[in-house]
Amino acid sequence: MFDLTQSTQDAAPSSSPRAIRLEATNHEGSLLGKNVSPAKFAAGKEAGFAFADILFAIDLGNEIVLGDAFPDWRGNLYDIQMIPDMSTLVEWKPGLDSVIGDYWLKDGTPVPICPRNLVRKMVARLESLGYAATVAVEIEATLFEESVQEARKVGYRDLTPLGGSTGATYHLARSSDWVDYMDAVVDRLDRVGITWEAWTDEAAAGQTELNLAPTDPVRLCDNWARTRQVMREVAFERGHTVSFMAKPTAGFGQGAHINLSLQSDGVNQFFAEDGPSELMRHAVGGLLATMAGATSIVFPQITSYRRLVDLTGPPTTVSWGVNNKTAAVRAVCGHPKYSRLEYRLPGADVNPYLAIAGVLAGVLAGIERQIGPPEQVTDMAWCLPDSVGVTRIPDTMSKAGAALDADPLLREYLGDEFVDFWVASRRWEWMEFHTKGGDPFAELSQWESTRYFEFP
Amino acid sequence: MTEIMTFPEVPARSPDAPASEGSTFPVTIEGDATPLVRLIGRTLRDSARVGHADEVLGQSVGTVAVRSHDTPQAATVVLDGETVEVTSGVLVEPDATVVVDLHARFASAQEPTGDAALAAGTLRALRPPLPHWREAAQQFWEVTRGIPGIPEVLTVDAIGPDGSERGQFGDGATEYLMAGPPDLLAGVFSGADDFLASLAAGVQIKGTLSQMSVMTAASWKVRFDV
Repeated sequence: MFDLTQSTQDAAPSSSPRAIRLEATNHEGSLLGKNVSPAKFAAGKEAGFAFADILFAIDLGNEIVLGDAFPDWRGNLYDIQMIPDMSTLVEWKPGLDSVIGDYWLKDGTPVPICPRNLVRKMVARLESLGYAATVAVEIEATLFEESVQEARKVGYRDLTPLGGSTGATYHLARSSDWVDYMDAVVDRLDRVGITWEAWTDEAAAGQTELNLAPTDPVRLCDNWARTRQVMREVAFERGHTVSFMAKPTAGFGQGAHINLSLQSDGVNQFFAEDGPSELMRHAVGGLLATMAGATSIVFPQITSYRRLVDLTGPPTTVSWGVNNKTAAVRAVCGHPKYSRLEYRLPGADVNPYLAIAGVLAGVLAGIERQIGPPEQVTDMAWCLPDSVGVTRIPDTMSKAGAALDADPLLREYLGDEFVDFWVASRRWEWMEFHTKGGDPFAELSQWESTRYFEFP
Repeated sequence: MTEIMTFPEVPARSPDAPASEGSTFPVTIEGDATPLVRLIGRTLRDSARVGHADEVLGQSVGTVAVRSHDTPQAATVVLDGETVEVTSGVLVEPDATVVVDLHARFASAQEPTGDAALAAGTLRALRPPLPHWREAAQQFWEVTRGIPGIPEVLTVDAIGPDGSERGQFGDGATEYLMAGPPDLLAGVFSGADDFLASLAAGVQIKGTLSQMSVMTAASWKVRFDV
């Protein structure tokens, strides 16, 4: 169980903050919340703080999302309680503490569509099987020279990549504006207690990849959401812009690879001397069995699907393979410590909590049902002919939504209420795009830039 | 390979049958179609069903681009005299182009270009006569029964110049009331008009927020078949 009563972060809260920022994500994935005074925080930190349930029904265009039957707890704009998880309390910056929370109903049960509570639910189910998951993420983002105000004035178009326009991975000769930005980011991460492992120049101009250290699933999600916030705040402070959009420009995309292993009594259960362990094979089986439906979750925005182009990096097929980075799931085998699965599907725009919950749901389904994986792809998993029998990942929001709606495994693990809510919210998003100005035939339409560039 | 979905509801009509019995020509739309393609397909199906614009749907041959006047939405309607096929975007050189107001039942928003007769015929086919509001409401109620959370009873107050007329559809404990001008109600219930936009145009509703959310889904069902 998680200890909700005291901070276990590496960074401590400040001794006398002027305000405490309450944080949590709704379905979209950016941190939402409010700043409260120390007195207000002291009075409410156990009973919780009221938030309107409408936070789960606002889209990124500030419209109320409609199209499904609200569960009873929503009613006519009822309040729900955000209860801070005191283990996450840190000093965010001088005078401001930060704490992440979960949404609960008045009867003390979790809000069924609360992303963080969904991760908790998956973690608890894994624990009941005797496993503890360790997860890590590779965060990709693109940096631009212009301030966010300047970016807004030009509709987020034709911006100047920070660090020059020559795109090439691993270059250490990037100009100091780019290097200084990343130095400032990891300095902030150190101060708020987020352990990072590496950052580098990624393939596209202005793009970086920042790797967060493996940890337990809930902590990883917290760190992931907060890292985005740090990267955004540092960009603001330095007069630059950062975007986690799946494709911030028409030219290239960005993902968020999730690495996962399962431990039992501190021993990596994915390890076997001669390849994937039986447990790993079942985990792969579950991940692939749920991949079409999970696509809806890890591709949350219209632009997410524009990444699905063969030979450009993202996986395009429901596939796996040992050490095969062209497949959707890469199995890393043969090492007692580093044996793991890399789930390569999510876009950078994903809600961290929902991504991890979806991945853990697939893993659980595979383990509990002992789902065997299909034959691994040992060739390149892009551009495969249909005759090979490897299915392609759903390439539109509507197809992925239909796959999730029909997925009995994800319905069982994530719950009907979440699946119904999510499918309806994506149908709304699809309708908004098509009827309010989006252009499916553009490489990247202005509607998408306006809606997705800044959030999540 | 493009997956083609045929509206199964389109009744086949023998060549000798009266127009009111339906159409011999199927209206097909591509798989995973956009809302505009779905809207055009459903509208042409309605026209075919009531024998409206038969001279276009059954005899015209040509390719027509249909574009929205205020969004990038576009679709291509291909008529070959026996079938009508609707696809997303305009990827071929059309014989005619019509620019329409999708918030005003496909009203022409610009002078059509290209084959004038084909354009005029297509615009006519896209504007089938509205059913009476009572008939439309009955059909709406029947078609939307399977939507989770849909109220059991739909009560409609049609408020015209000569007073108010009430209709009630279904039985049960949960009720939803919609009131407004008869033409607007007929537009919403038949799918010709957008439900949410109709609220700003004079339709009034009584029910919970959740019911309004479900009614949005119901209106999409009749307007777009989603």
